[in-house]
Formats: sequence, C-alpha cells, structure tokens
Amino acid sequence: MFDFFIHVASIACLYGVLALSLNLQAGFTGLVNFGLIALFGCGTYGAALASGMGWHPLLGLPAGIAMAALLGLFYARLGRKLSSDYWGIATLSIAEIIRISITNEQALTGGAQGISGLPLLFAGLKPYDGMARLALYVVVLALVWLFCQRLVKSAFGLSMKLMREEPQLARSLGYDLDRIRRVVMLVSSAIAAFAGFLYAHYLTFVGPDQLVSPETFLIWSMVIIGGVANNRGVIAGAFLMQFAMAYVPFIKDALELPTDFVAAARLIIVGGGLLAFLLWRPKGLFPEKVGGSNGR
Amino acid sequence: MKTTALAAAFAALFGGLVGVTPAIAEDITIGAVIPLSGASATTGKDQSRGIELAVKQVNANGGVLGKQLKVIVEDSGGKPQTAIDAAKKLVSVDKVPIVIGEYSSGNTIPLGQYLVQEGMPHINPASTSGLVRDIGATSYSVVGLDNVSTEFAAQDVLDHGWKKVAVLAMNNAFGQGVAEEFKKHFTAKGGEVATTVMYTIGQSTYRRELQQVEAAEPDAYVFTAYGTEGALIMQEAFELGMQEGKPWYSILITMMNKDTPAEFKKGLIGMDVGYIGEGGDTYKTEYETAYGETFLSAYGGYAHDAVLFSAAALNKAGSTDKAAVLKAIEDLGKEGVKGATGDITLDADGQRTHQPYLKFKVEGEKLVAYE
Repeated sequence: MFDFFIHVASIACLYGVLALSLNLQAGFTGLVNFGLIALFGCGTYGAALASGMGWHPLLGLPAGIAMAALLGLFYARLGRKLSSDYWGIATLSIAEIIRISITNEQALTGGAQGISGLPLLFAGLKPYDGMARLALYVVVLALVWLFCQRLVKSAFGLSMKLMREEPQLARSLGYDLDRIRRVVMLVSSAIAAFAGFLYAHYLTFVGPDQLVSPETFLIWSMVIIGGVANNRGVIAGAFLMQFAMAYVPFIKDALELPTDFVAAARLIIVGGGLLAFLLWRPKGLFPEKVGGSNGR
Repeated sequence: MKTTALAAAFAALFGGLVGVTPAIAEDITIGAVIPLSGASATTGKDQSRGIELAVKQVNANGGVLGKQLKVIVEDSGGKPQTAIDAAKKLVSVDKVPIVIGEYSSGNTIPLGQYLVQEGMPHINPASTSGLVRDIGATSYSVVGLDNVSTEFAAQDVLDHGWKKVAVLAMNNAFGQGVAEEFKKHFTAKGGEVATTVMYTIGQSTYRRELQQVEAAEPDAYVFTAYGTEGALIMQEAFELGMQEGKPWYSILITMMNKDTPAEFKKGLIGMDVGYIGEGGDTYKTEYETAYGETFLSAYGGYAHDAVLFSAAALNKAGSTDKAAVLKAIEDLGKEGVKGATGDITLDADGQRTHQPYLKFKVEGEKLVAYE
C-alpha cells in the first residue's frame, strides 16, 4: 500500500507543477490556454530526444525547455491578434497539430509507438528510489510554488491581474500587454516542460497518446476544483483529483463491484466534480485572495 | 453537526472497506490490466470474458497450488498512465505474482517496462508490435508479433498473384507496425508496395485516403481497420467503384468483418490470428453458452490462454515466489502449454514462436476459413 501511495503522490506532485503553470496563465493573467499539454509534451519529448540521440539525460531538460519556450512565445504571438476565446481555440488546435505531427514523424519521434526505455530517475537507489523521487518532486513543487507566489505578489503580478480584469484600462495606463503575455507564457511554458521532463524519466516512456486534449482538461479540472488564481488551491486540486482517481479501484475491490465501475466512476469524478464545483462553488476549494500584494 | 455526519459517513465507508478486504487473501490472485473504457473497450470486454472462462476452467481442474485462482482485473482506460497506476496497485498492494496486460502496444510497452523494472513477470496477451520484443527480460508474449503475422499475410497476397499493392492502415502503434512490417516482408519476397497511406481513426469519411491509394494503380488493396471504420472504408470503396475488378485484402479481418454489411464486402479475403487452435472447440462452445454470442474479437482467446499459462506456471513453480515463477515460465515456454489458441511455446526472448493463422474469405455476411 505504501509503495502505491508514494507513486500516486509522485504523480500528484507533477500534476501540481502543471496546475501551477496553468494557473499562472489562466488563473492570474486570464490566458485561457487549452493547449497546455503541448508545452508539457515539449518536456517529455526533450527527454526522449536526449535518450534517442545518446546524449546525457540531463541535456533533455534544456532541450525540452527551449522547445517549450519557442512554443510558448508562438502562443503569445498569436495572442496579439486574437481575443481570449479565439486564442483558446487556437491553442487547442496547435496542441492537436503538434500531437498529430509527432504521430506521423515516425523516423524522429517513433510515431505512435512512442519512445521507450528512457532511464528511470534514481533507479540505482533501489528499494528507496520511489521515496527519493517523491522527495525530489516535493522539493520541485515547493520551489515552483514559492516562485509562483513571489511572481504573483510582485508588481509584475499586479499587472498580470490587471490584464486579466481590465485589459483596456491596463493598456491606457501604459502597460505593455504583449510583453506581459510573452513573459507569462515563457515562464509557465518552462515550468510545464520541467514537469514533462520529470514525468518522462518517471514513466520511462514517451508517446503521443500522453498528449491528447483530455489531459489538458484534466489539469483544468484540477485548477477549477482547487481554486482559480490560488496557488495553494490548485495544488490541493491536483492532489485531490489524482488521489480520487487512483483510489477508485480499492473501493471496487472492497465492495466487490465489477471493474466497469472504475471506468464509470472516474468519468463521473472528472465531469461531475467539475460541474458540481462550477455550479455550487465556482471559486473552488480555496478562493482567490484579493489583495496581499507586496508590490506597488 | 453537518461535519460530524460527514465524518461518520466516511468512517462507515472506510470501516466497511477494511472489514471486507481480507476475504480475498485466501485465494491465489494474479492481476490483469485491460481496456474496459476508452476506444478499445469492446476488445477489453472480450478479454475479460476470456479471463473469466479461464478462471472457471482452472478452478474446475483443481485450482492453483491447492487453492482457488482469482484474477483481479483493472481498467487501463486505454491510457499508459492509468495502465501503470493499475499495475502499481496490483504489484504493491495486491502483491500478485504475475500481471497480464494490456491490449494496444502503446500501453503494453510502458506497462511491461514498469513490471520489468520491478522484476515482475509480465504476460502480454494481445499486443503485436515488434517493439514488444524489447520490453525486457521478465516480459513474455502469448501472442505472435507483427513480424510473424505480416509475413503470413505478405506470402498469402503474393500467392494470389498480386505483385503490386497499396497499403492502407490506421495511424496508431498497431497500424504503423503492420504497415512497416508488411512492406518489409512483401518487398523481400519480390513484391512491390506502390504506396502506404496511414489514416486517422474516427473520421466521418475516408474518401481522401481511398482516392490516394487508388492513384497508385495497384493490383490489389491491402488494409487493416477496426470494426466500424473498416465498414465505412469498405462502403466508400464500393461507392467509389474501387471494388470493381480490384481485390481487397484485410489483415486481421475479424476486427472489421462483423460491422460490414454483405453488399460492401463481396469477394473480400484476408487473414487473422486463428482464435481457436487445437483444443479450442471447448472454449468456443463455453463462450457461446456463457455469453449468448460469438467472439467479440480475436483477443479473448489469448487473454484466456494468458491466464491458463500463468496458472500452469504457478503450479510448476510450486509457490508464488518471483524467481521460481520466472524459472517456471521459461521452462513452460520450452515445453509448451495447450491453450484455446493452440500450443503455446516461447522463443529465447520469451515471445510466442508460432501461432495459428487462418485465411478467410467472405461468403454473404459470414467469414469462412479456407486452405
């Protein structure tokens, strides 16, 4: 049971990092990004690239972050011309285009069969490798959280929120919205790619099936249930969702329900949970705190 | 007040969980991860039926190590992440000695790799991608891989005298494997693959892809498709007049035959894994009695045999100890186990050496095997 707990907690930490990344974009800046998973994919394929080219595994990290930064900048560039709902649709379709391209570029990406056999992080520390990984992920999550907290409480964080609430006003006050968008996308893309890199070296397999759009919406549900624009909240949301999904099979075993129950229950948790929160608690478990900025 | 009530409800629920769990401990349990939701749910259902029948059969013949066999089936959701979650649960919580799984290669490979890292015996009951061979030392397949099935198909197509063919396959791990391996074998045997078109699953029409393969002017069309997609492809090929004078050949024809109306598949031939080998008649009868219909796919029989094989391995090992079980699997692989899909023997990489393949032709609605 303990090993399984460690595994679920590890994945929850990585989802937490992803949720923080999405929260910077959607929660604080109002950038409704439906293509988040592609930024995550840059990280996983960065790791896969390093493995395929025979580089040192760590080189996959800068490669992944570089790809994510380029993609993030591209997203931001699109945002200059498109209003936020159209931008959301554009990001969704770009993420899909990327996934389909990966599926077709068989020589480079292994196509639909993906790339397997990546080195497992801390594999040498058996049997304590799981704990070591979890410790690392917790530290990474804490650092990313700290960074996000500082960012949103800074003067720049204020301008992010102003852009979300009153873009016209922000522009009239002389804020460069394009620059804000660019910086937010760069930073959050790097965070998402970092999560992807760690994920790839945990699962040891990278494939296009990991980048389907429902994955983006899973992260969205974590953010909405946890609390939009509350960093603590989205981490709580990530843990809650991941644990709820992972522990459904135990309820099935205990009550001797058919396995079909698991599949149905998971769908209900994501869809029903999302709907319930949107209806009865639209601000999530931890609503956004207004004020409390260290900036001007 | 409200909080107390909630807490009480939770306590009751979890108390209930703890109370019920130990009952399982008296049986010998093995684990299976199969797709019960997602795109391959139908095959997953067939697999779970195969497993159920195999458990009945094993227990009727005295069970495993003097106890009853039980298989804990977990849903993979058709996703690698969920498949691995399920495997971790089976390994670290249920402490099963063997894990069977999954269906599509994209999930079986990461699942198998995780199990290999843990030194756990993994039995692949369905995935045919050539990459399955490289999963690792403790991974075994009771199904023959693409290289075996496509070689059979390539020879069959050439024997019909069609030297220049166009290949149409779905763009996923399975389709890419089939297209690539078929081309390799077909070219090696002196044939020519004029063009290969990969299509995305779930489209409302395949006319564009069909016209692309038509432009290559082949002697015959070779394709592989899942149920309803195969039906749509055949219907549109018929409507475009592409079935006039040009033969169609389906790789793994049982996947799509059931969904295709007779008028759109006149003269269609193909091949598939023989889902019943020697001694499989009993399995077929049992299946039809239990579920009131014929096989949903070709893969229930392999899941069935994966359970039989696992049970035999546990009995041979004399315990559920990992090392003993692995050794027993290796030995059994050489000796062979009789299953519903025929004799199962494994090669040095732990992959099934040969398996029955059948040539099929369509007669009306039905598939008929021929020599």
